[in-house]
Amino acid sequence: MSSSKKLTLKRLLIYLVLAFVPFYIIIPAMWSYFGEPVFICEDAVVAVYCFGVFGMMIPSFAHLITRLVTKEGFKNSFLGAYFKGKMGYWTASVIVPIGYSAVIAVLVWELYMDGVSFSDAFGNIGLQSAGILLIQIAYSVICFFPAFGEEWGWRGYMMPKLMELMPKPLAVLVGGVLWGLWHAPLTVAGHNFGVDYPGYPFVGIGMMCLMCTALNAFLTLLTERTKSVYPAAFTHALNNNINMTIWFLLFGSETAVEKLNGVTKFSLFLPMICVTAVGGIICFALLMKKEKPESAELDKAA
Amino acid sequence: MSGLLYKNFRLNLASMIFSLITAAFCCLTMLLVCLFAFVLPGKTPEADDMQSLTFGFAACYFLAFWLPSMASSTLFQVDESKTCCAFAMSLPQGAKGHVEAKYYYILILNLSIMFITFVSDTVTAMMTGGMTDNTLVIVLLFALVLLLSAIEIPFMIRFGSQRGMAIKGAVVGGIIIFALLYLLFGDMSWLLESDNDPLTALMEWLQSGDMVFWLSLFPYVSVIAYYLSCRISVKIYRKGAENYEQ
Repeated sequence: MSSSKKLTLKRLLIYLVLAFVPFYIIIPAMWSYFGEPVFICEDAVVAVYCFGVFGMMIPSFAHLITRLVTKEGFKNSFLGAYFKGKMGYWTASVIVPIGYSAVIAVLVWELYMDGVSFSDAFGNIGLQSAGILLIQIAYSVICFFPAFGEEWGWRGYMMPKLMELMPKPLAVLVGGVLWGLWHAPLTVAGHNFGVDYPGYPFVGIGMMCLMCTALNAFLTLLTERTKSVYPAAFTHALNNNINMTIWFLLFGSETAVEKLNGVTKFSLFLPMICVTAVGGIICFALLMKKEKPESAELDKAA
Repeated sequence: MSGLLYKNFRLNLASMIFSLITAAFCCLTMLLVCLFAFVLPGKTPEADDMQSLTFGFAACYFLAFWLPSMASSTLFQVDESKTCCAFAMSLPQGAKGHVEAKYYYILILNLSIMFITFVSDTVTAMMTGGMTDNTLVIVLLFALVLLLSAIEIPFMIRFGSQRGMAIKGAVVGGIIIFALLYLLFGDMSWLLESDNDPLTALMEWLQSGDMVFWLSLFPYVSVIAYYLSCRISVKIYRKGAENYEQ
């Protein structure tokens, strides 16, 4: 291994330790304090807020500290914004997460709502629901901050380092798994699927790794092509804020919402995995394609 | 562009620090209120407290966004001379880069204020056990400030910062007068004949029927207006520069 690769590996390890350790200490500590998994504990509202906003900023702090400690400087920190010839990616960063959440909602209807026709399931289509959806999308602007907190760490630091160390396809896989494992304490504490599903908690952690790998392909594609971390942060914010449930709550009929309440969180995750996996494969293929010559110029500018 | 942005931040450092401190101070007020009213006595807010809390938060966040926007004229004052304009136009980025950098500066400043208010709102939500959530108010205030900047900046560039500020004042004054006239002479039956208090009735009216849809367009209109304002300002920059005194 060359000395530059050794240095990259050292920096990456420092970053990973700084990003992983706080979560792996705080969540078990809170669990022991409240006496039950944090995300199913009714008294742990403070913890939920704390993780939802400040926890997501840990990777950014890890990124910042790593750069300062290793005296790396702030070259290639993906903090610039370049629009020329990249508007497609910027637009995709907003449209794609909204689009796939709608597709997931349709898939949920198809899979779990036997005997309910599409028009019966989504019978509440009107200006009022559309208005609330638009407000919800605008509200995602504020979710941008915590999302940026994660993206500047994972896509802005970890992925470029991984791509220096290994071939791109492997880097996307390893990066996705690492990102999924970072969520492991949350998954164990009942964040995504609750705690009562078959194979708890390992199946949940595996599902999270799978979804993170698929999403990682898209987010890495956005970051790499725009040389900026902001489109990925927009996507992440919308992904967290506009989920499939929103479509049912806004446009779904009472019958559809009732049926949805009967489906476990874990089952709802399956169509989500399918859609993100298909999207991930497409992005993976796009990521492997060679960049246009102007991207190299952009790289230089970045 | 980064150089021009740096120039704006460097020349307006005092104004920027003032803006951020003002925003932080406004947020700190609400944090202290929550600390002394709920955290230290170990209470959680009750339904009666919610109305005054929501109003208090909205007022503090409004001030956090509004007070810094009052100082926006200094951003343009520092470059208001023929020498500066000639130099800006001679740069590789030209007038376009010069004007766009101003818009980016205002956007970054408002995003920073939004971040401060968002962090404060999260902490207060933690203090009140999740009973308060004013993030939507913050987003709407951000959109309002962008919209007002979108109206104000082209006038500042075309006629100078003082007149720009006067026009902004006139727009805000006009809105207030219109609202007052409506309150005095308009049809207020929906508010007066309601069984609830005026604030609840107003919220119900805003959430009723298609009103939500038209309101939801507001943040998008603000962003589009800000973009168009930037394009207009780039076009009129040269004409405005000819009017500067030196």
